[in-house]
Amino acid sequence: MTPTEANAPVLKLQDIHKMFSGITAIENFSLEVHPGEIVALVGDNGAGKSTLIKIISGVHSPTSGTISIEGETVTMSNATMARSHGIEVVYQDLALADQQSVYMNMFLGREPVNGFGLLDRRRMIAETDKLVKELDVRIPSAHATIRDLSGGQRQGVAIARATHWASKLILLDEPTAALGVAETAKVEEIVLSLKRRNIGVLIISHSLDQVFRLSDRICVLRRGKQIGVRETAKTDKNEIIAMITGLQQQ
Amino acid sequence: MSMKFKSFALFAGLVAATSAFAADGVTTGPHGEKPTPAASMTLSQEQEQKIRDGKFTAALVWHEMSEYTNAVNRGAQDEFKRLGIEVVAQTDASFDGARQKADVETVLAKKPSIIVSLPVDPASAASVYDPARAAGVKLAFVDNSPAGYEHGKDYVTIVSDDLFQMGNKAGIAMAEALGKKGKVGYIFHDADFYVTNQRDGAFKSTIEKDYPDMKIVAEAGMADPARAEEIAQAMVTQNPDLDGIYVTWAEPALSVLSTLRNAGNTHTRIVTLDLNEPAALDMVKGGNIAALVADEAYDIGVTVARAAAGSLVGRGAEPFLVVDSLAVTKETVAEGWKKSLHKAMPESIAEATK
Amino acid sequence: MSSANTSAVGQGLANRFNLQQYVVYLGFLAIFLFFAVVLKDSGFLTVRNLSNIVLQTAPATIMAIGLVFVMSAGEIDLSIGSTVAVAALAAAVTLGQYGLVAGVLAGLGAGLLIGLINGALVAYVKLPSFLVTLATLGLFAGVSRSMTDLRSIPVTDSVFTGFFGSGVFLGIPSLIWWTAIAVAIGHIIYRETRFGAHVLATGDNARAASVSGISVPRIRLAVMAISGTLAGLAGLLYAGRLQAAKYTLGETDLMTVIAAVIVGGTLLNGGRGSIIGALVGSLMMGMLNNGLILMGLSVSDQMIVRGLIILAAVAVSLREKSR
Repeated sequence: MTPTEANAPVLKLQDIHKMFSGITAIENFSLEVHPGEIVALVGDNGAGKSTLIKIISGVHSPTSGTISIEGETVTMSNATMARSHGIEVVYQDLALADQQSVYMNMFLGREPVNGFGLLDRRRMIAETDKLVKELDVRIPSAHATIRDLSGGQRQGVAIARATHWASKLILLDEPTAALGVAETAKVEEIVLSLKRRNIGVLIISHSLDQVFRLSDRICVLRRGKQIGVRETAKTDKNEIIAMITGLQQQ
Repeated sequence: MSMKFKSFALFAGLVAATSAFAADGVTTGPHGEKPTPAASMTLSQEQEQKIRDGKFTAALVWHEMSEYTNAVNRGAQDEFKRLGIEVVAQTDASFDGARQKADVETVLAKKPSIIVSLPVDPASAASVYDPARAAGVKLAFVDNSPAGYEHGKDYVTIVSDDLFQMGNKAGIAMAEALGKKGKVGYIFHDADFYVTNQRDGAFKSTIEKDYPDMKIVAEAGMADPARAEEIAQAMVTQNPDLDGIYVTWAEPALSVLSTLRNAGNTHTRIVTLDLNEPAALDMVKGGNIAALVADEAYDIGVTVARAAAGSLVGRGAEPFLVVDSLAVTKETVAEGWKKSLHKAMPESIAEATK
Repeated sequence: MSSANTSAVGQGLANRFNLQQYVVYLGFLAIFLFFAVVLKDSGFLTVRNLSNIVLQTAPATIMAIGLVFVMSAGEIDLSIGSTVAVAALAAAVTLGQYGLVAGVLAGLGAGLLIGLINGALVAYVKLPSFLVTLATLGLFAGVSRSMTDLRSIPVTDSVFTGFFGSGVFLGIPSLIWWTAIAVAIGHIIYRETRFGAHVLATGDNARAASVSGISVPRIRLAVMAISGTLAGLAGLLYAGRLQAAKYTLGETDLMTVIAAVIVGGTLLNGGRGSIIGALVGSLMMGMLNNGLILMGLSVSDQMIVRGLIILAAVAVSLREKSR
């Protein structure tokens, strides 16, 4: 890796505009996420966070503006293309197949096959075991069925899956909304450990405490407009709340 | 009787154009057999004793279960019991040829001496009964026999209704109900099914040939009994002045009945075939139903069982044995029930006739 | 790290899974043993009778394989009840006019075509499969009736009837070959290929499958096509066995096949299933028919007992799964 590439943001959004049948959903949004950086995206309900996630994950394409990945401008017309660019999403509903095993979920849609075209279960299980251990996701085994896992374990599996496939960026949509205190702490540990892998993380969260615990920078969105980006270390909750609610203008 | 045979010849001529089996004008069996009264099928005391000593077994392989099959089944069961033959299995194919084949194969595991059966689909039935024939089981049939099977060699006999007589009696009953004049609607079974085709044809020819003052003004084919109500609806709407409607059998006749009731029509009389409790109840209460023509289904069972048993001790049987039928009206419902189904009429009807 | 704790949980799960998987096998065994004891003098245990059960259930088993794919994808195919007859009649008519190969292709092609019609309506018009196939069940029942004007069509080609019906190859009846081959291929595709995994994922969580890059509509189309084609094959087997085709073929099979698939461990809502389980479920249904007849029960009693046993089997297998 050359130094310039290393310094280039994994994701760069420039002047993103999105209209839905004449109504502006996102306007003039620009943001960079660097390798090993955790950026939080905050805003009230309906501020446009989900729309942004969908644009970055290829579900929607922007009406105007550019998306670059490691300095290269890309167009993505579906989720598969986003994935091929190294972007993985952990959805709020986790997108896990409940009746299937952990390892089948890890490789959902991307199952490796052997020379006969049959599923390479051994490889899937081995890689799952390895990753689960590295991330310290405590599940009974790679064979366990998702349905039998706790909420935190499921979240762990979903993040592990994203980690396995993401070479550049992981989008986390409300990763702990449905979890208890202990499980939330565990998931936050896993998220922080992603920094060591030099992956960029964009996280959406309603919990400002969590945002302050995890993120390097905070990007505030209100009614489709980008209100501002702050370095977490140089701001405080009051400022962010003011930005979210609009009670204090820039 | 003379009328019956006269009409019969006419009827045979009528169906000759569409149906090969009735071509020579004297036949009525599914393969052109001459009918023989079922009452002629008797066993001597000596033959009966030999049968009892033989410790034979029988299996009953039905095409489906209905009131008709039930009565035949009971007749066969009673006759086999009388002759000391144990019924080791009975089956119901729900009108499915493949299932009937499976049923025959299954009952063969019990090694029965006799199989009494009604073939679901005579055209393909040879493959159904071949394993039984190969195993030397005596086959006796109700209503029809497999195509290609030879009487006396491959099977004992066919026992059936006198189909022509049934249709003919329905025609006579209709004439009686309408005072031998009026406009008649005719709902026939629109399928290649020998039993209903002959009965329907006999009704039609009876009305056309024997009752110059009666006229069939509306005809409708019914392929699916579930559609009967719509057919009746259309017929009654187009011909509100119908005096009578013939319906090919009782189940669709109930749909016709409900159509008439809904229309507030108390004038149009219905004649149909087979005993059926709701229909009979309407009849005894003075509703639209004028008569039900019933076969002596129980006797079909008795006769087929007796013929099959006789064949085990060398008593041959005529190829086509027919039982009598009777027109049941409001006045004769009690004895009709007894004669046809060999049981007392249902409680509800007994109640209504009081 | 609580490795002892972890493995204990794993152990518990393993035990539960075994019980789940074995419900159908235990039920099968229990019914078999019951009949073997009660009917030991009635020919139940003869090789002839037992092989008859397998032969008789061959078409239902093959339909059940298709239905495992369909139900695993979270869909249902009711139209198989009439697809069988359409395929058998198409094969019989074509066979008589254009020969063996054309007849076979016509039968399988008719099944495939019906499957594709169902599939296209489900996958691309996005109609619920229950309603689509309920409609096509009736539609193709009508087609099969009108195809030959309610007549039955004899099948006289001895190669055809041997291959699909009464033939014997290497000492084993052709219907057993068909069953074995269909189950083996079906099982491998279902358990060991990406397609099988995608079918399960689609039935389990269509959204998850979709965001994971699985083309959910294509999976839905494919399972309906598989089901139609296998129902077509079942039609050929019926035509070969009966040496004739008629519109009533397969009409009574639908409920038997659905029961066999559910008893065999396939969830009605998708996401989990078993081809081997469906085979055993189908054999269980056949054995039940056979044994109850051999017990000499009246037809009504047979139906009552069969209904009760199916109810018990379905209740047990579904309860085990939802726990």
